[in-house]
Amino acid sequence: MGTQDLVTIIPWTFIAQILNLFIQMYLIKRFLFKPVNEILAKRQALTDKEIRDAREAKEDADKIKAEYEGHMSSARAEAQQIISDAKKNAEIEADRMIKEAETEAHGIKSRAEADIEQEKKKAINEAKDQIGGLAMDIAGKVVEKEIREEDHRKLIDEFINSVGEAS
Amino acid sequence: MNVEISGAKIFARIPTGIPVLGDFTINETLVVSWIVMALITFLCIFLTRNMQVENISKRQAIAEMLVETANNFVRNNTGTRKFDKLIPFVAALFATSVISNLISLTGLRSPTADLSTEAAWAIVVFIMITAAKIKAGGVLGYMKGFTEPIPVMTPFNILSELATPVSMACRHFGNILSGIVINGLIYASLAVASSAILIHVNSTLAAIPILDVGIPAILSVYFDWFTGVMQAFIFSMLTIMYIANASEG
Repeated sequence: MGTQDLVTIIPWTFIAQILNLFIQMYLIKRFLFKPVNEILAKRQALTDKEIRDAREAKEDADKIKAEYEGHMSSARAEAQQIISDAKKNAEIEADRMIKEAETEAHGIKSRAEADIEQEKKKAINEAKDQIGGLAMDIAGKVVEKEIREEDHRKLIDEFINSVGEAS
Repeated sequence: MNVEISGAKIFARIPTGIPVLGDFTINETLVVSWIVMALITFLCIFLTRNMQVENISKRQAIAEMLVETANNFVRNNTGTRKFDKLIPFVAALFATSVISNLISLTGLRSPTADLSTEAAWAIVVFIMITAAKIKAGGVLGYMKGFTEPIPVMTPFNILSELATPVSMACRHFGNILSGIVINGLIYASLAVASSAILIHVNSTLAAIPILDVGIPAILSVYFDWFTGVMQAFIFSMLTIMYIANASEG
């Protein structure tokens, strides 16, 4: 068993070492880089997927939120509409009731006036009759003689009328 | 006392009968290279066993870190992702180099202490550089590159082109060999020193090189660890930078 020179290039060793280097490259590629890169790619894919999912979920949530907000604002508008409608109706109703009340009051008043007028006429007439009777009694007592009823009545009426005109 | 520092041991010689190439010798360089390759491959398989997407183990974390480091090393030094195909090659170069350099710590002879190894790597890198240049500028562009900036420079350009692999191989080899030589000298001189000291105590004790225990280990921090890792790093770094430069045309 000999030794080779300290500084020398042995052709076959040289060739073998070139081959060894490439074999080593293949082995490292096959047993280190390939599996690790596969794992890294998988992890990358997983992360990407999670980010994508999160983004989709956010988009969904945004959509739902927008929808909800839309609903809310339309509901608010509807409520406003209902309230203003109710107010308008109430106003119309109130107006109507006031007008009715007014007309009724008016009717009552005019009827009352008519009644009063009638009562007044009636009273006046009664008063006329009583005064006529009274006057006739008084006159009968004063003159103490029988006067013909018709002439007498005519006389009294003239008198009362003149009195009525004077009062 | 004689100190002998020799080349790799030759275990077997297989005659091939091919003129220039000579006999195929199974020597220490090749055997330790195979051990190194087996070690690296085993390590790769061990680290990437049972890989998970989530809840990764420490082993997997190391494997991922190694791959990321290799990726970043190549991408940062070239500044692009164009050379991603070269990552396994550079990783193999670095791993083989660093393990080969450090395996001397176990008492085996580094395959990198044989110029054949570095020459092989340097030639591969040289061919890659040349291929990248031809790919970038075409064959004519590549040829024309030698005549620039002026045609007189052609011999020097060719020389500098050839100097690249030679310097790469010799730099690495020289550093490792010098480590071996210095380690051998230190072992021998410490053995002489310890026998010179212990001869005053007892002649049997003098045969034990007591100073060889411990002291060389401290020195090997520089000559084995630092140089070993540094040369592997430099070699890989130069490889990727030369190729990157070459493909810029």
